[in-house]
Amino acid sequence: MVNVQGNQDWEGRYYHIDQILDAPGPRTDEGFMAGDDVKDFLRNQAKILVIGAGGLGCEILANLALTGFKDIHVIDMDTIDISNLNRQFLFRQKDVGKSKAIVAAEFIMKTRARSQGDAVSIGLAFLLQIISSGEFLRYFGKIQDKDDDYYLQFNLVICGLDSVEARRWINATLVNLVDSENPESLKPLIDGGTEGFKGQARVILPTITSCYECSLDMLNKPTAFPICTIANTPRLPEHCIEWASVLEWPRVHGDKKMDTDNPDDISWLYAVAASRANEFNIEGVTWSLTQGVVKNIIPAIASTNAIIAASCCNEAFKIATSSAAYLNNYFMLIGVEGVYSYTFEHEKKGNCPVCGGESVSLSISREMVLEELIELLTERQDIQIKNPSLSTPTKQLYLRAPLQLEEATRPNLLKKMSELIPDGGEVTVTAGTLPFSLSLDISFT
Amino acid sequence: MNDSQSLETATTSIQAPSGVPDPKTRRYDRQLRLWAASGQAALESARILVIPATATATSILKNLVLPGLGHFTLMDDGAVTGADAGNNFFLDGFFSIGKSRAEEAVKGLLEMNDGVEGVADVRDIQEVLKSDKGWLKTFDVVIAHNVDSNVLNDLAALLWPETHLVVVNSAGFLAEFSIHYREHQVIESHSETSASLRIDQAFPALLEYAMSLPLDTMDITDHAHIPYPVILVRALEEWRREREQVTSPSSSTGSPRTTVEKKVFKERIRAMMRKFDEENFEEAEAQAFKCWTPTIIPIEVKELFALYSSSTSLPPSASTFPALISALANFVQNNPASPRYPSGLLPLTLSLPDMKSSTEEYVKLQKMYRAQSEKEKQVFKDYLSREQVDADDVTIDAFLKNSHALKVLKGNEWKDVDPGSKELLLDKLSTHPKETATHLALAAARRLGAKDVLSSFKSSSGPNDATMAENLDKNKLKDLLTAEAMTFLPPGTELPETEWRIVSGEIARAPSADLPTTAAFLGGLVAQEVIKMITKQYIPISAGNAASSANDQLGICVVDLVETWTGIL
Amino acid sequence: MIKIWSMKKNEEAAGKKKPKTSAAQIRVQKDLTELDLPSTMKTYFHDPADLLNFTLTITPDEGMYKGGAFNFSFAINSNYPHDPPKVKCTQTIYHPNVDLEGNVCLNILREDWKPVLNLNAVMVGLQYLFLEPNTDDPLNKEAAQEMSKNRDEFVMHVKSSMRGANIKGVQYTSVISQ
Repeated sequence: MVNVQGNQDWEGRYYHIDQILDAPGPRTDEGFMAGDDVKDFLRNQAKILVIGAGGLGCEILANLALTGFKDIHVIDMDTIDISNLNRQFLFRQKDVGKSKAIVAAEFIMKTRARSQGDAVSIGLAFLLQIISSGEFLRYFGKIQDKDDDYYLQFNLVICGLDSVEARRWINATLVNLVDSENPESLKPLIDGGTEGFKGQARVILPTITSCYECSLDMLNKPTAFPICTIANTPRLPEHCIEWASVLEWPRVHGDKKMDTDNPDDISWLYAVAASRANEFNIEGVTWSLTQGVVKNIIPAIASTNAIIAASCCNEAFKIATSSAAYLNNYFMLIGVEGVYSYTFEHEKKGNCPVCGGESVSLSISREMVLEELIELLTERQDIQIKNPSLSTPTKQLYLRAPLQLEEATRPNLLKKMSELIPDGGEVTVTAGTLPFSLSLDISFT
Repeated sequence: MNDSQSLETATTSIQAPSGVPDPKTRRYDRQLRLWAASGQAALESARILVIPATATATSILKNLVLPGLGHFTLMDDGAVTGADAGNNFFLDGFFSIGKSRAEEAVKGLLEMNDGVEGVADVRDIQEVLKSDKGWLKTFDVVIAHNVDSNVLNDLAALLWPETHLVVVNSAGFLAEFSIHYREHQVIESHSETSASLRIDQAFPALLEYAMSLPLDTMDITDHAHIPYPVILVRALEEWRREREQVTSPSSSTGSPRTTVEKKVFKERIRAMMRKFDEENFEEAEAQAFKCWTPTIIPIEVKELFALYSSSTSLPPSASTFPALISALANFVQNNPASPRYPSGLLPLTLSLPDMKSSTEEYVKLQKMYRAQSEKEKQVFKDYLSREQVDADDVTIDAFLKNSHALKVLKGNEWKDVDPGSKELLLDKLSTHPKETATHLALAAARRLGAKDVLSSFKSSSGPNDATMAENLDKNKLKDLLTAEAMTFLPPGTELPETEWRIVSGEIARAPSADLPTTAAFLGGLVAQEVIKMITKQYIPISAGNAASSANDQLGICVVDLVETWTGIL
Repeated sequence: MIKIWSMKKNEEAAGKKKPKTSAAQIRVQKDLTELDLPSTMKTYFHDPADLLNFTLTITPDEGMYKGGAFNFSFAINSNYPHDPPKVKCTQTIYHPNVDLEGNVCLNILREDWKPVLNLNAVMVGLQYLFLEPNTDDPLNKEAAQEMSKNRDEFVMHVKSSMRGANIKGVQYTSVISQ
């Protein structure tokens, strides 16, 4: 963990930024506190979390630092690969194999004091904490019992990730964090993504605007080929490569996991795919195509990342300072033919499994048994559920079907609610009559 | 698909025998999957000049240095100020203050990629414009950020049209840029439209094969694996032969036209099934529109024939493009796909999509398409040989593969105030008020910069609330901007009130702010367009198609980072 | 910072607190408790507390696979329903659309999977494979060829393979249902 404190603001350092912070513009909210107040918040109080130190992350870190954010935290579980160097500009050849988060954070800190040799002793402009790979993995792995306090400390979260799964997770985490009793619990999430000449940036205000899960159906699905085509009627070089990776690898190597970052494994797949292609008179299997197919490589260039990361950081700056209106709420860029972009408000989905469900607070007696709670739910006019199934984040309380699960959870029906959940605990209800689910917030009288 | 195919050709040549690519290929892997070895080679031989070393300028350069630009010169005669050290990532912060801005920035930029040559030039551009004109013309592209109108006028006049000039302006959250070139030819446009399979005008071998299949008696498994183009050609030919008996002979090249005819045709395909769930026939039914979508020469390509046959005025260039177009025009005029069809077609390309089929049938069909396209390529090459140019096979293949998606763009010469575009701007003001107002405000600010007016409106730092004097200054600056904006428009034009209040207010708030995020955003956009220009791949911003007589585009990209949108004028 | 909370106060939906249960888990709970399966299909949970891993047993009551009990393992990951469930046949069976390793060729398990589909759709699709094996796009090519060229012999091989016979060097799992 690197943890450096210090502040070194030379004269004129914020000449450019201060033109914005010293006076409101035509599209500035009334609440804007021009001058020292906003500068103090930006430079001494705002704490920002950057998830991902890759293509977008490197750009995001540099932009945030220049904009004046000083308490920047970065999380990334990846190590640096040679193919990152065409765009991830905080990394050099000598860094290959090292942690992205650590190298990126050190670069950002030192770039301001390179010529002094000993960066730490002169006092740095930035305070950065680095959470290295293992820790993220730990958080990532156990979603249910992670600690909300970690996220509560930030004002803003910016995501530059290439994984749908990680994005869904952080999105759900921030939506869940929102506590009606605590205004500070609402953390704006700014999410960016790129693919070749295309990209998007969006602002998510958890529970207020549409969330990442609301737009899941906008995602392009990675190409998948029918397994029978792969097995018996290959026509494209991709079919031969999938044959090698999906069918031949497990057949030959058993349980040994394929490591798509290991050139030897790619070479094996390439050889197998090439010989199959040869057998079927199919042209075009190359090492690079093999690697591209098995790693599902998405083309990535510095320029697109720069645009999207800049947009993300610009929104972070405007939100943190209230100095100008911010993106509402989705910016999409397609740079294949000219510069085409589309800014629109992505609408919240009513039946979104993360932000769309209903939530009801119930105050019940400690003595109430689960069966009585279910009766209460079916009888209440404002809820009107038929045949509900109930669970907590960690266990099933009562599942209506299949029979085996019904039998396994049936004994709970006669248990007191206070034995099943803690005071203030949450119960998730699903039922055929609900659009998605209902969340119960249970307290005992 | 297109991308991976071009990569394939890109990487086979530089692959080590073991198959594992060399370190350079691995480093550039994620971009080679877009622009391939040919694009990379173009990038690596390009020379670019950037003036001066602002945050925006170095952001643009960063996105060119990382992918492996050949050479850049960064020209700036100034010394690093505290403000520069605060907004430019490629300076060494506090420690660069007082040193040469060009030299410090070049150092920071070159750290990212040792394959790139970078030179700091500490001369004043105004001096160079007088003393070293020839040298300025050795660059492929010159990029100027917030350079004042007087210098731009001289620069534009000198560079036009051989060296492309990119003009970039920004202030606070607003920005714009334009690329100035006469004409830009794109072969590899990476179009998402694929070339025709010529179902409606099947070449003889395909037609013969489709008609030879014993559909009713062949093996049932084989029947379920006939590729859909074969099914469609067969169904269409049978339909035509039936029609020929009842109507006129001309129907031998016709296709279903009416809704009823199309519906009946689809039912005919369905009736060809021997089992209820033959997926290849289902696919054929879904693709039946290919029978009545005529294989034609796209209008844009046709326009190019006219453009290059008439334009003797074009300067003789090293480019083989006009010769390729001329050969293509000859091919189209003289080569109907078969004697049955009256009109000529573009040469057939081998771009068979995946389809429900057995390997054998697919490969067989692929070979038929390949044989025909080879034949047509030979014919094309014969025409090309009459043009007396040297074009290698790689170029010819790329040209033929993309002949349905060729693009020639037109640009315009940079002019500070262009009397010729006043009416167009007026027009745009009503159709695109936000975008046009933004452009006018930035252009007006640039002219004020040239008159040294802007520098007297320095934003002071400090007090919480703006002082009276500052407010007065800001209002005065808005008035000056309005007056300048009017010089771009026909006399008596009224500026759109709301939009103008907003954009002039934005400029007055931050007249000389090169914000790090605006700089980074522009850095990405401009570099991306420059890469498209250099690689001659994908389609950069333009003032329209070269062959089109319409002059309704200015070719300016406008950016507003408050509402976060980009627009094209 | 912008005053988000004041915006929130204006929202009708103010004051919602969301569950900590992951979207994937709620979806699986919903899918499972709302399954609408015929009597020929049964789920079995090795650990009833783990809804993400279970076995589906199909006992066709018609067609040439009648009399067998076929087991499929279901593994659902935390990215469900963005990712489809991973389904494998845990027995060695003789079927045109299931290979000897247990891979299953069913379009909605791979190329045609969509988040709007659910576990019920996958299970019904699997059962359909036993009623109407598809010989046009096989996974076990030999089985498919035999089925379309020599149906009687194919049916015989299906029957003996279901009893656990060894055919052409392949030892099949006995799947006769009790």
